[in-house]
Amino acid sequence: MLVPGPAPLEYEIVDLFTQFRNPLLRYVSALGLPLADGEEVVQEVFLALFQHLRQGKPRTNLKGWVFRVGHNIALKQRMRNGRHEKLHGAEVLAYEHLAPELNPEEHLAGAMRRERLLAAIEELPETERCCLYLRAEGLRYRQIAEVLEISLGGVSEMLGRTLARLSRVEEY
Amino acid sequence: MRYQDDHLSDAQLVGIADWEVIGREARRLEEHLSACWHCRARRAELERTIADYVRLHDDASQKMPPMEESRARLLAKLIQLSATPAVSVSPRRFGKFAYGSVAACLILAAGVVLYLNVLKAGAAPVPNGRLTPGATRIATKEDLCSSQAFEGFYPIPARMASSVFKSYRIQNPSPGSYEVDYLITPALGGAGDIRNLWPQPYASGEWTAHQKDALEDHLHELVCTGQVDLAVAQRDIASNWIAAYRKYFKTAQPLPDHMAFSVDPPWGN
Repeated sequence: MLVPGPAPLEYEIVDLFTQFRNPLLRYVSALGLPLADGEEVVQEVFLALFQHLRQGKPRTNLKGWVFRVGHNIALKQRMRNGRHEKLHGAEVLAYEHLAPELNPEEHLAGAMRRERLLAAIEELPETERCCLYLRAEGLRYRQIAEVLEISLGGVSEMLGRTLARLSRVEEY
Repeated sequence: MRYQDDHLSDAQLVGIADWEVIGREARRLEEHLSACWHCRARRAELERTIADYVRLHDDASQKMPPMEESRARLLAKLIQLSATPAVSVSPRRFGKFAYGSVAACLILAAGVVLYLNVLKAGAAPVPNGRLTPGATRIATKEDLCSSQAFEGFYPIPARMASSVFKSYRIQNPSPGSYEVDYLITPALGGAGDIRNLWPQPYASGEWTAHQKDALEDHLHELVCTGQVDLAVAQRDIASNWIAAYRKYFKTAQPLPDHMAFSVDPPWGN
């Protein structure tokens, strides 16, 4: 009888892809890449991860690794594109889900608040924006610090400052 | 930012909410919060802002394109990549010049491989890895072992078969001489995708579509009886079906029983 071997690395990578593809694609799109380019970046990241693990390199903090490599490749791609898409990923974040339970006035108020929030996010310095996006994707401060190559304290300060700015938008 | 010297900063408030402050410091901040309405109100404002941002984020999630196609594409690339040796290089010890030289060599090698592949295009007992790397669909073992495992895969649409022949530069193929074959058979989770199809000749020496059909049948049985892992079967058949035949039938040469074995219909009949 043939004994099944351990799951090969290819399938482990596909499992990781299933886990991280949407968060990573959302993140690289939010950096200003069209979705089609974002998909290519994500593919490149997981091929690089395959090589990384195949060479027996560390398996610790793979989520941080995936976002760090994705961040760097996305910035290079953005430079190659020679254009800066609407900063928070026009194709992605500017998607409005119409909640059926709201009346037209509530829709309008919600849409205006949303517009103000998007505008405020767009005005944030890029590192602070990245900090916000990465935290929303569930990265811990230590992982964010690694992706953006800043200190742990820097992450904490930036998130506090960013949320404070965005909370002022809510007051209007 | 601090509101006042004796209140917590926004960074501290967010840090507590995110469970990023631990130990003695966390206890000190929690103690302050329990006594300070001002800080608790501020924390609630920040939490509301987080909730508003999360709504934007959730809306964005609904716009993500489906994953199946990109996952199958990644798997096909990984299978191709796994056939190449892993190269271990320490980037920090590698100078720009060395990177340039290696890049130039790789480009040259890729060009040569591409050129040879183009020259070699045409029917062969094994597919051209560039044209047919293999592709899978999302399916569980239970799906594949049910009687509906092949529904919708046969016959292969004429337009798709024609594209397969065209990509292999085969003009006017004679009916019955080829099987337009799924590299990873649908019964093992193969996708109905042109990257998973190639024109397999019935007359190409000792390794033909007959042996491939026999292997597909046997592997399906091994998977469904739990003797072989589905992922292993997919990988083996996609990377080199002749090697897989030798492995699973424990033979170096095709078995006599398989000389006329046929499950899938020939093309054009």
